[in-house]
Amino acid sequence: MLEAVIVSGVAIGAVYALIGITYNVMYAASRVMSFTSGQLGMLGGVFGAWFILRLGLPVLPGAVLTLSACALVGLATEIVAVRPVLASLEKHLYVLSTLAFALLIQQFVAIEWSTEPQPFPRLLAFGDALIDQKFWLPLAACAAVIVALEIIYRRTLVGRAFLAIAEDGFAARALGLPERRLRMASYALAGVIGGLAGFAGGELMLAFFANGPLLSFYGFVPVALGGLGNNRGAIIGGLLLGLFQQAASFLVGGLFVSVATFVVFIAVLLAAPQGLFGAAAGRRV
Amino acid sequence: MPISAPEADLLEIRGLVAGYGKIVVLHGVDLAVRQGEVVTLLGANGAGKTTVLRALSGLLPRGGGSIRFAGAALPPADPRAAVRAGIAHVIEGHRVFTQLPIADNLLLAGYDLSGATRRARVEEALAEFPELAARRHERAGALSGGQQQMLAVAQGLVRRPRLLLLDEPSAGLSPVLVDRVLTVLRRLRAAGVAVLLVEQLIEKALGVADRVYALARGRVVLEAATDAPDLPARLERAYLGEVSG
Amino acid sequence: MTPTPVWRRALPYLLLLAAAILLPFTGSTYWGVIATRAAIYWVLVAGLNLVVGFAGQLAIGYVALLALGAYTTSVLCARTGIGMVPALAAGGVVGALFGVLVGLPALRLRTFYFAMATLGFATIVTQVALAWTDVTGGGVGVPGPSLPAPFDTPWGFYAACVMLAALATWMTANIAASRFGRALVALRDADVAAEASGIAKAPLFVTVFLFSGAAAGIAGGLFADLQTYITPDAFTFDLSVLFFIAILVGGRGSILGPLLGTLLLTALPEVAAPLVAWSTFLYAALLLLIVLLMPGGIAELLDWRNRRPLTQDRVVLPRPALLADLLPERHRAPALAVRDVRLAFGGVRAIDGLSLDLHAGEVHGLIGPNGSGKTTTLNVIGGFARPQSGSVVLGATRLPQGAPAARARHGIARTFQTPRMVGEATVLDNVMIGGGVTARAGFMEAALRLPRQLREEAALVRRARLALGAVGLDALAAVRCDRLQHSELRFLEIARALLAQPDFLLLDEPAAGLAAPEIHELGALIRALAARGVGVLLVEHHADLIFAICDRVTVLDLGRVLAAGKPAEIRAHREVVSAYLGA
Repeated sequence: MLEAVIVSGVAIGAVYALIGITYNVMYAASRVMSFTSGQLGMLGGVFGAWFILRLGLPVLPGAVLTLSACALVGLATEIVAVRPVLASLEKHLYVLSTLAFALLIQQFVAIEWSTEPQPFPRLLAFGDALIDQKFWLPLAACAAVIVALEIIYRRTLVGRAFLAIAEDGFAARALGLPERRLRMASYALAGVIGGLAGFAGGELMLAFFANGPLLSFYGFVPVALGGLGNNRGAIIGGLLLGLFQQAASFLVGGLFVSVATFVVFIAVLLAAPQGLFGAAAGRRV
Repeated sequence: MPISAPEADLLEIRGLVAGYGKIVVLHGVDLAVRQGEVVTLLGANGAGKTTVLRALSGLLPRGGGSIRFAGAALPPADPRAAVRAGIAHVIEGHRVFTQLPIADNLLLAGYDLSGATRRARVEEALAEFPELAARRHERAGALSGGQQQMLAVAQGLVRRPRLLLLDEPSAGLSPVLVDRVLTVLRRLRAAGVAVLLVEQLIEKALGVADRVYALARGRVVLEAATDAPDLPARLERAYLGEVSG
Repeated sequence: MTPTPVWRRALPYLLLLAAAILLPFTGSTYWGVIATRAAIYWVLVAGLNLVVGFAGQLAIGYVALLALGAYTTSVLCARTGIGMVPALAAGGVVGALFGVLVGLPALRLRTFYFAMATLGFATIVTQVALAWTDVTGGGVGVPGPSLPAPFDTPWGFYAACVMLAALATWMTANIAASRFGRALVALRDADVAAEASGIAKAPLFVTVFLFSGAAAGIAGGLFADLQTYITPDAFTFDLSVLFFIAILVGGRGSILGPLLGTLLLTALPEVAAPLVAWSTFLYAALLLLIVLLMPGGIAELLDWRNRRPLTQDRVVLPRPALLADLLPERHRAPALAVRDVRLAFGGVRAIDGLSLDLHAGEVHGLIGPNGSGKTTTLNVIGGFARPQSGSVVLGATRLPQGAPAARARHGIARTFQTPRMVGEATVLDNVMIGGGVTARAGFMEAALRLPRQLREEAALVRRARLALGAVGLDALAAVRCDRLQHSELRFLEIARALLAQPDFLLLDEPAAGLAAPEIHELGALIRALAARGVGVLLVEHHADLIFAICDRVTVLDLGRVLAAGKPAEIRAHREVVSAYLGA
């Protein structure tokens, strides 16, 4: 039983970690935490099921189309919900604009797709039981994203420009970096990562509109605890959260898992509002 | 054949109004810089020196006035246009990207250039600062404040600007390092680059500059050549007001 | 502009109430049920409005409190047999307790974190309701309670709900118009200024969360009655969205706007039946439009008065003579002293062994180059910065460090380098924020308009008008603050600080951004304040103003006192001149 707990915990934890990275990629480019992060994960599952099961596309084109569609949703988030708010004086309104946009996505899916969980296709022709693809696919996706991000950030000029904007947007603008284009690219990238989370974890979570807010919350927990913008914290936190949930549901039953997660989340945040690895706030006057 | 006469102003600011939100800091500033000239902008805190530089490089929107650079109007609030036109702004506080290696900091300064040109320009900029060249693969965060300031100046040079805006390059630097930075300025001037310098260390600033403007309350209150004999007394009045009683 | 008379302000509410009373005469039970639901929602939204619209806390999971109230009331009625009225009260108590529990993180968490926390809480409550079958009946549910006669018929129940809704409107409107409402808005838009005015965040937030939680709990009990049978399905997140969006559509800091918003959002899907499935989608679209295009909501749309143009080229003409009435003769306070304070941010020393005195009735200038520690000194005196060593002493009392909200009680008031104002509130309300520290009436006294509250409020209004007159802004009392010019805001900050009747006033660059004649008026005003016994500490870059009006000047450089003395001495001091000139 222990193996089952670990395997399923790591799998769901990898999905949380990917959503956490989605938050971070958007945050780094814009200092905005977007409620759409979890919705992108939900869309990864729904688009995957739609392209492959309903439209009958092969897996590879289905995956490419799914991730492209999620990239477009990421881009739309930037254009519709983030850019206008960043241009205004009240930047904190992003909480409301991204919430509204997330609700639009969620309700649209509920009405046009289904309000019930729908099956997600098996992606590969091998693997069963504990090494079932539904358990290791999310982990593989997580590893792939980490490697890809590392390559982008360390080996390409665009990636370095992402890092530069994340560290000091003002200095980046002074150097003449195309801040807006880079921000759009970041949001598209975040869309791909979020979509991949839902696509790789599709069999685990099914194609279900209500996964959106769930992922928004459980993907945010590791980010909040690990410190905003800290991908390592998000990965460790996500995996730990997945393991904790699976172990708790095995030991004490499903109901208390969410209560326990919530209590831990609040308790840690109250003790360390900047997260366990975050920096302290600046001066106020 | 170029139409503009050689002594024509490279930069011409007329009636510049700018500020932060509702707070108007500049109430109509007129200022000019000729090609290959070092001009120092002085003034007490809050007089609007940094605001002039930011409005000029497009980092701040303009509330009014016009800016002509190299014979063409400079569009407002567009830092990329300013960079492309040949204006490099080294902002205050040596804000380099501490997470990135020194070489990458410089590469980013040439973001729009083609790959080969970019690499060549980075080498060119590094040649000015051997101590940076020796540590090019280290993170900029590992540099001292003074070295970071040099890196910031080096970033400004990557684009081979026609006008370099320098905002308080001496802040936090030891006198030796200040002299190093100012030496670079002299070399730049010799190469025909114009410099608009905001600086707290007045004597050092006057030492390298050809002309000086003093700002007070968002207006130019003094404009003079640095070799004008009564300059110190005029400056003191501009800073502290008339001696009363 | 003259203030709106009370009857004009009450008119929309009275019209709505009349419509609610007339509704039963139409005989339409269909609309009766919808109106009952709207009234119940409003009981919750009215309380939530104080949290979201006034305090600016993005609590998006209030459906959880509705569920708690509904289950408490229903389970008590169904399993113990007590009547609905005591059960409803119990629902209110449970709602209040959980309201505080869910709300407390708002004291420490940033907006998005708090929104997430309330969202998480909403998810959990439904999950618990589903799983705790022994009590809640799980997915099967539990029968709802019923009010005793004469409120047990549909129209009787409607009447009860409308009465409670009217009560909720009246109470929250009273709170909104009191110092508590102003304090909430101040904490939302200008938290630093609120604290400097003596507004302590924690106790106020706890009170408001208790109140809004109780309202939500009671609304939950009524909701259970209306549903006749409740299951966890009844408390979808969509309801939370409706409550939250009703407030934002209505407009922040308004009562009427969110009330209309609630009516609109409740009735909207009924008017167009095919829209029911799309209702939450439409709410979300509405929210997005409001946020992007009209952050002021319905309330701003209805605010005709503030669309009238103001006269241009206004000049601030202070009348220092009015200070005599505002600051009556009192015992001169003992000197305020900063003793050997050291403070470093990271490795940088901001203040390095600084001592200075401020006496009652003097104007003390504090000057120095950028980064010399002037504002940090004000922050230490104002309690915003905690020095690593040294102290701030008032007479024989050592003032506690890092407790800015306690400073106002010690007679210390301040202004800020960038004016910190509530842009959406009127000029008069902004000034009155400064006077909260002198009031004694409590939250419930304000909610119920008890006599002490009314007396204090009237006195506060009188003093606020005096203060506005003294700084020369009385003509703008009814104008929204964000329409003022920058120079007017500078004087407004002084008026707000004066309302606390301070012994000591800390001014942080009050002349920045002022034109020459205004600086002259400012100087005269500061001198007049000193003549009334106020000790003024003046941080300023306009050297001519400093030398013209100060009794003493202290020059800081690198966090240390470079020189101190009379203005003439300082003006002639070579080191000072060179520190300024940077040579």
